Amino acid sequence: MAIKTLEVIRKRLEERPAELKKLRENGQKVVGWTGYNVPEEIIHALGFIPIRIAIGGDDRLVEVGGRYASSKNCVFIREIVGAFSENEDPFIQQTDILAFDATCLQNFRAAEVIEYYFKKDVIVLGVPRNFYWEEGKEYFGKEADEFTRLLEERAGVSLDLAKLGESVALYNDIRKTLKSIYSFQAAKDNVISWVEVFDLIQAVDLLDKKEYLALLHQTLAELQELQHNPVIEVDGNDARIFISGSLIPRGDRKLINIITSVGGRIVGDDIWTGILPHLDLDIKEISPAGVALGYLNRTPHAALPYLDLESDRRLKKLHELLAEFKAQGVIYHTLRYCDPFTFKAKETKDVLAKSAIPVLEIHTEYAGSDYEALRTRLEAFVEMIKIKAESAAEVTV
Amino acid sequence: MATTDLYEYPQELREEFEATEAIQFRDGSQATGADIWHYMTEVAPKKYPYAYTQRKYVDGRMSRDIHLPSAIKHNYLLLTMNDRINKSRENGSPVIFVQGGQSVDPYYAAGGIALRPASVGMWSRGRHEGLGLNEEVVRRHKQKEKAYHAISFEACQTAGYESIQEGGLPVDMVAPFTCLRCSDISYGVEAHRHGPNKTVKLMNIDYPMRHQADKQWAVEYFSDNLRRLTREIGKIAGREVTDDDLSKEIRLHNEGRRLAIDIAELWWSADVPPTNGLDRRHILQMGGMEIHGDPSASLTILRESKAYISERVKNGIKAEGVVDKPVRLFICGSCVRPNDFRIEEAGAIIVGNDNHWSDICTLVKEEGDPYQNLAHAILSYPYEQSVELRAAWTIEQLKKSGADGVLFLYQWGCNTQSAVARMLCDTIKRDTGLPTMIIEQHEGGSEQSEQLLNRINAFIEMI
Ligand code: SF4
Ligand code: SF4
Repeated sequence: MAIKTLEVIRKRLEERPAELKKLRENGQKVVGWTGYNVPEEIIHALGFIPIRIAIGGDDRLVEVGGRYASSKNCVFIREIVGAFSENEDPFIQQTDILAFDATCLQNFRAAEVIEYYFKKDVIVLGVPRNFYWEEGKEYFGKEADEFTRLLEERAGVSLDLAKLGESVALYNDIRKTLKSIYSFQAAKDNVISWVEVFDLIQAVDLLDKKEYLALLHQTLAELQELQHNPVIEVDGNDARIFISGSLIPRGDRKLINIITSVGGRIVGDDIWTGILPHLDLDIKEISPAGVALGYLNRTPHAALPYLDLESDRRLKKLHELLAEFKAQGVIYHTLRYCDPFTFKAKETKDVLAKSAIPVLEIHTEYAGSDYEALRTRLEAFVEMIKIKAESAAEVTV
Repeated sequence: MATTDLYEYPQELREEFEATEAIQFRDGSQATGADIWHYMTEVAPKKYPYAYTQRKYVDGRMSRDIHLPSAIKHNYLLLTMNDRINKSRENGSPVIFVQGGQSVDPYYAAGGIALRPASVGMWSRGRHEGLGLNEEVVRRHKQKEKAYHAISFEACQTAGYESIQEGGLPVDMVAPFTCLRCSDISYGVEAHRHGPNKTVKLMNIDYPMRHQADKQWAVEYFSDNLRRLTREIGKIAGREVTDDDLSKEIRLHNEGRRLAIDIAELWWSADVPPTNGLDRRHILQMGGMEIHGDPSASLTILRESKAYISERVKNGIKAEGVVDKPVRLFICGSCVRPNDFRIEEAGAIIVGNDNHWSDICTLVKEEGDPYQNLAHAILSYPYEQSVELRAAWTIEQLKKSGADGVLFLYQWGCNTQSAVARMLCDTIKRDTGLPTMIIEQHEGGSEQSEQLLNRINAFIEMI
């Protein structure tokens, strides 16, 4: 049963580049951001149009980007650099200012490369590695003030805290609604799939936020209409897969397509283009520092090192989400040269093994050359989960 | 390995060498010229035969400039690393694993010993006696393999994991400056959390990025990091660290830095290279006061080296093995470098590098709050600035050193310096017209691949 609003969103995404062009002709400016702790509400409250630059899946752009950065950068960063070089992406074409953060230093380097070769106006937000220290938080607050000052200079206005409050309220509503919608995809007899919700989540990066929120409310109403009481539980026929690891940006469908094509049902994720960045974002104070700290205090991104395994909130959150969505297996996805996640692959597998959760590590890039090999491995993994689930069901019976 | 295959120091040098200055250690003890000669000619060839290999192109081969006492003394300090570090630990100095390109003043101020990967490697190597070159290389690789397995096969470096977690090396703390030139350092530190060694303390000394030295809040944050660092080391060493301890240490390390700057300028001012590239690098690196795990020892050698090099420059003495008018190469990039012997055979010489030199030639203000001063100096390292600023400083070094060309080397798996390579080289070419070449090096054997060396040779010929 199709959710009608999803079709509207797809259409609005297609129309959006032309719309952005018009808005820019009328004097509005677009800030393209990329990173993992960019406090978007500040950009929004200053009257800019924020769009997230998160694209992937194009091996040709990776090759082009590698010529400016290097072949040892993660494929995601290389593709972004390549996209700025080619300037063919309809959204990238509309950016006036770029905002990067230094959560992942490869992102930081990409900012330098884009600034240097493509003469873009780039603002960079410093991010502390000792993010859990009070001193680290204080530093980040000051970086947020500086980030705001640099944006104010470009906006020609000062940040109005009342407007910031409105932006925070708007984004909070978006996050809350997304969370509600997300639970529908994991439910028994689901009327919306994870893939559809994933697309829906990514639309927030590009659409006008107020319009997006309205569309989300509409989607939620449709879902509630179709399924009054979504219950998340294991169905004997499913292989319930959870995707963890490196982000999967717009345009990169390889892994998702293979999982679904071999009969896996994705029911959850903790990737940074999925639901994770929208969870647990609690802004306690309406100020640049307050908003920024809300971001920093979420489940930490893997690029921020945490030195005690037992109390690692990233792993804790992973376990929590696995339980909530009743996942039966984890695909730990690492992009080529994505060190934040590859360095943790074995450790994550060891930790999940202790909880008896099957894990398959998929290390890949955007080229199609490993498609068949991945398909074979994923097929076997999905099969294994199904057999395990069936035998568990038999035991219960 | 038969003893005849090993290099021997010529006995006719003995008298002259024994009369040279003693090495003064931090604990007040010393090693006289006679002690060093005895160790290097009698003890070490049996304990560490691999170090005396006659194979020319082996990484870590000792300098053959036997008339330069510092070359022998430097190797003495490396080969005695295991004995010396163990002794210092027994006397209450904790050992802290750090990384290259950073200063070590605060570690020593707190009573610790800061060792970067190469020195930790020497310490670890020193625990295995009697190995020939091949056995030693195999041992090292096997251990490294374990680390890659435990961390990631895409890791360019392993933060000493192989020695500290897999090799039982009693390092007390892993606490490098992270983000400094490199992202992987912090992941390397983090990887230790899942290793079997639960006693080693972990800490990231967080280096803020982007115009960091111009931001007072970044200086304060980094200074807070340094305070926490000295406090934590002090706890292990069982002492309270005062501001005065740090001020004293800064003065001592500034002396090393100043000496290295003086020596570099002397070296560059000479008509003919007064030392080979290997000795130049080793001597200047002593200005960072970290390579031997004993700043006082490094300082003694630096002082002596300055006198020797002045003399050579004054008398127009050219180092052995260097051609008359060598092509002068400057090296950019972290963690790897070309083999000096091969470079010199090809008619060139390495006259400078940017990586460690960036921190060595950054002096720290001596008046005022030592933490703030140190933080400000560290955040000003030219290597860690935006590409235009880093390039401007590199160009200054190229001019001072009379370089004819620039090689940018980075290691396979290095995401950070590799991303800067082209920008830096393009800026240097734009502003100086000097030829540049970017090379990726695969870590592997003890000798560099023919393919890599062919490329470097072609570059030298082109110049
Ligand atoms: S986290 Fe991974 S994918 Fe993202 S920018 Fe860093 S290295 Fe690239
Ligand atoms: S090779 Fe590059 S990424 Fe690796 S430790 Fe060195 S600077 Fe860091």
